[in-house]
Amino acid sequence: MRPLFSGDGITKTPNQPTECKITGDVHKSGCRRQVMDSMLEAAIWFWIPLCTIPLGMWLSISGISKKPGLILSLIGFFLVLISAWTVPSSDSSAAGHLLLSILAPSLLLAYGIHGMVFGGNVPVGKLDSTARWSGTLAVAISIIIFCLMHWYNFTPLWRDGQINPYWIVFWPTFLLFSTALCSTAAIALVGFGDNRGSEAMKLILLSVLMMGIAISAMLFDGYLTTADEFREYLWLASADIFGTFVGVGSAIGAFALVIWSYEKSLPLPGNSPPPSKDEIKHVVKLAENHIGGEEE
Amino acid sequence: MKEPTASWKLLILAALLPILILITIDIAIGGGSHPESFKRFGNAILTSYVVMGILLLGNLFFYADSRHRPLAPLVGMIVAIVFGVAISYILLSNDDLLLEANSGVRAQMLSNIVHLLVSGTAMLLAALLAIGTTFATITGRKRRVLFEEEE
Repeated sequence: MRPLFSGDGITKTPNQPTECKITGDVHKSGCRRQVMDSMLEAAIWFWIPLCTIPLGMWLSISGISKKPGLILSLIGFFLVLISAWTVPSSDSSAAGHLLLSILAPSLLLAYGIHGMVFGGNVPVGKLDSTARWSGTLAVAISIIIFCLMHWYNFTPLWRDGQINPYWIVFWPTFLLFSTALCSTAAIALVGFGDNRGSEAMKLILLSVLMMGIAISAMLFDGYLTTADEFREYLWLASADIFGTFVGVGSAIGAFALVIWSYEKSLPLPGNSPPPSKDEIKHVVKLAENHIGGEEE
Repeated sequence: MKEPTASWKLLILAALLPILILITIDIAIGGGSHPESFKRFGNAILTSYVVMGILLLGNLFFYADSRHRPLAPLVGMIVAIVFGVAISYILLSNDDLLLEANSGVRAQMLSNIVHLLVSGTAMLLAALLAIGTTFATITGRKRRVLFEEEE
């Protein structure tokens, strides 16, 4: 069940050497060529497109080239999505396949949230009041689709009819994080807001619903995964969430430290010398030209 | 407007509590120990540190625009990233410390990046659901009349 990587190209069983080891001793030139080809394919069809997504976004946001940047990001994203077909030998393509599998329910979720938010009392961009109900329905359907992907035959299948190894990474992480965030949002609403009890109660209910789904997955086997596997991955998902937060926090800390130490090393700006007589004359002349009104 | 009654401690507790409840239920069911989660924790820290560092390095170019393009912060951030990559390499090379079911160090590093992509997507979607629902509940309330003159 664990995603097994052989460095893109050749799958392996745990704790056994690959047929021709990528990271170790490669003796046969044919074998080496095969490995290089698969590595090159993975680089061209998965890794380079993946890198173009943030690069395109950076170009677009910075204003250097807005439209080309956006197009570059979209092309990169599209190539990552279809990587399971363009580079099927790459283990990394499982991630692209999973992203493609969850694209429809994710878009439905985003559409639903948009309708729920802008169907209410908003000062700008207000939608028809029915958008609120259709949005709620869309969110409910998207969560049901995710559940069917776990308990019914909507489960994303990858190579040879096997379950996509990243589905069991995605699903517990999504459930755990949404439960935690909804709970936090509910407490924040009650604590910082004014008379927000009923709104907080709705968020608590959503948090309990997501927790209920997680507990069900812990107790009942999925279509292609067992409850034991889900419980094991629940621990890994917790480790992932905490680890990601610590890592991101450390990177932001390092960034702040670099900026702070550079700014601290800069000399204090000196006082500028007083203006010369010529400069004063020039300023007075400019002022006279601009503030002189017509006499009545 | 009333005084805020929530603190950061309470918010952190609210975030941790559901996760702790689920883990407690797993232990009660008889889940046993999960030594692999320590490896995942370590890999997640190192990978997210390096990837986030690279994204922040891009941000430094904006910063450099307003400071006559100094090299020192760029070099400092590159050193911080290289430090993260070196630590990752050393820990992954060190026997069975962080290596999961992958064939080698390079395979594990690639696996970590793809893993971060998937778990990051899961977290983004969960954030969309939670934050979106929060705003939906706020905008869903009927408009309150604050002053009689508004009628």
